[in-house]
Amino acid sequence: MKKVFFLAAKDIRVLMSDRGNIFWVLGFPLIFAFFFGAIYSDAGDGPSGMKIAVVDEDNSSFSTSYISKLEESDALTVIHLERDQALEQVRKSKIAAAVIIKKGMGDGFEAIFNRDEPKIEIAADPSRKMESGYLQGLLAKAQFEALSGNFTDKNWMQDQVSQWREEIEEANDIDTKDANLYLDLFDSYDNFFNDINDQDLKMGFDGDILNFSQTNLSRESDGPLTPFQITFPQAILWGILGCAATFAISIVKERTSGTFQRLLIGPIGKAHILAGKGAACFITCSFIMCIQYIGAKLFFKMPVGNLSFFVLAYFCTIFCFVGLMMLISTLGRTEQSAGGAGWAIIMIMAMLGGGMMPLYFMPVWLRPFSNFSPVKWGIYALEGAIWRNFSLIEMSTPCLILLAIGLASFLLGVYNLHRQED
Amino acid sequence: MIEVKNLHKKYENIIAVNDVSFKVDKGRTFGLLGPNGAGKTTTIKLLCGIIKPDSGTVSLNGRTDPTLIDVRRSLGVVPQTLAIYEELSAEKNLRFIGRMYGLDSQILNSRIAECLEIAGLSKRKKEKVAKYSGGMKRRLNMVCSLLHEPSILLLDEPTVGVDPQSRNLIFNTIEKIKKQGRTIIYTTHYMEEAERLCDTVAILDHGKILDIDNVANLIKKHGGPSHIEAEFEEIISDIEKIKKYVDNTEIQFENNIIRFKTSRPMESLAKLNQSGLRFHSIKVQTANLEDVFLNLTGRRLRD
Repeated sequence: MKKVFFLAAKDIRVLMSDRGNIFWVLGFPLIFAFFFGAIYSDAGDGPSGMKIAVVDEDNSSFSTSYISKLEESDALTVIHLERDQALEQVRKSKIAAAVIIKKGMGDGFEAIFNRDEPKIEIAADPSRKMESGYLQGLLAKAQFEALSGNFTDKNWMQDQVSQWREEIEEANDIDTKDANLYLDLFDSYDNFFNDINDQDLKMGFDGDILNFSQTNLSRESDGPLTPFQITFPQAILWGILGCAATFAISIVKERTSGTFQRLLIGPIGKAHILAGKGAACFITCSFIMCIQYIGAKLFFKMPVGNLSFFVLAYFCTIFCFVGLMMLISTLGRTEQSAGGAGWAIIMIMAMLGGGMMPLYFMPVWLRPFSNFSPVKWGIYALEGAIWRNFSLIEMSTPCLILLAIGLASFLLGVYNLHRQED
Repeated sequence: MIEVKNLHKKYENIIAVNDVSFKVDKGRTFGLLGPNGAGKTTTIKLLCGIIKPDSGTVSLNGRTDPTLIDVRRSLGVVPQTLAIYEELSAEKNLRFIGRMYGLDSQILNSRIAECLEIAGLSKRKKEKVAKYSGGMKRRLNMVCSLLHEPSILLLDEPTVGVDPQSRNLIFNTIEKIKKQGRTIIYTTHYMEEAERLCDTVAILDHGKILDIDNVANLIKKHGGPSHIEAEFEEIISDIEKIKKYVDNTEIQFENNIIRFKTSRPMESLAKLNQSGLRFHSIKVQTANLEDVFLNLTGRRLRD
């Protein structure tokens, strides 16, 4: 056992002496996980609001207040643009909609509630009805919130009352009795606004006019909680694949350079040598996985559903690829041929098995072929532990397949090696 | 002691080793001399059990299975191809090999220091082997096999592609090992190496041993006559007179020089001296292993 450890330590030293190897087994998988994880999560910013542009053609205090209410909303991300720019952005689908506040919006109640000539225009793709409807609700809410500010402004309200009084007095089509009723009401308003102090007036309209309470309930998990739960198993697989390929090439290199011969004539059996190679690959993969795991936890906040199943899945996956490494190392007699064959096999396995993109992105007709790729079973087992919430029985299927592939490949590799050495 | 009996190994249609038998007594150095492809490396591989013979037996210190761990522990092999890790330093290479042989760390440290000294690499022990010259790598390759102080040493063309300085260092090392009473098998296609280092030499060609003996006997048996070139101070005027003093009828005359072949060069020269002619210079080219190989196979060693 001691000799197996020395062999493994030597192989790890040799592997780590090459910066290229370090990149392929450690750097590349981490980059892969981060890059695709970030893509799937919309650049990694977490949930964001609907992006809209506002065009303020009114430039009144009311429009300013209205826009600030829109900006306060968590559901919206507001940018300020000119009309043409805003329409162009909508056309190019860079924003969900453009909200144009026309001139006169801040002129008072009449302008705000004018049905014939609305002062707010929404420009949006007609096919995005749901977003448009959602936006109208948010705009109405902001409008009432802005108005609530005006209701508490004594001067603004007195101006409005004075304006209404003039309109009634000049109107010829209103019955005198009814006109007097309105004028009496306006007198009462005048008295009210003259007598009430500012603080009491504000209290009357304090808070949102339209508001909803929200209870946050996380849905039951039937899928990944973060995109990194998808990319992390892929990254682990890439780390293991890179490691297996590198070690397969190192075995061929040993055989061609004569160091394998030195091992063969030493006081150790072939089994020790192969176990040493396997152990080196296993230890390196474990180290890489630990780094990946820490990185995923620290930087990507990736939750792992069942840690013990995760360890089980990870061991089975590594066992499988250590076996495959042994087989790949016997496919060529030179570094170039083994390296070429190794990477070609790995790429096909990764493509078919969902190592490059999640299986649900693949065409339906292609998906059954993924069953022939150990990458699929590796990812499946890891996903089972990370977010699929597999039971032990469910976990056993991919794990047993991985162990079987690993064992068969290892035995075939050892057989090939014996045959080639004789 | 090494004893090989009727060893036979065939690769598909090529017979690599054909009925090879020899015996090397303890403390003796045995040379396998032959051109490339003669079967030297295959014989070494059969001796250390890397490959199995189709028939025949190998006995190392009385043990017939070279794959046994304790047999291997007594065996040191210097492979023809460099068997060192270029990514590691000389010291780390030696340390790894020492650990494989189960050397105690204290012994290992002193053996590493000794081996680095022998190889002339003490000052560069921390450098990666990849930065070494070809000669330095060869020297390290050799001392890696001496680290565990084997009683039997198999050297497979250890001087291939080596500069003269490194070659001398390797020769000196082997001579020191010889004096320590170790049994050595040395394969080469350089007859000078076999002549210098080996007590007994086997001439190997196409997997078959053509003859085994010490160098002197081989030359005596197969080397043919020595070539003599004698230059006199005056031009030879009476050729017939000279012929009387030379046993060989095939004499070449050229002004004041004569050339002839003889199996007894010293006796011939003494007789020629009686002719009364005064020698200006004498060149005697005695037969060597190259001639032995040529006479046995009709080809030169490096053909």
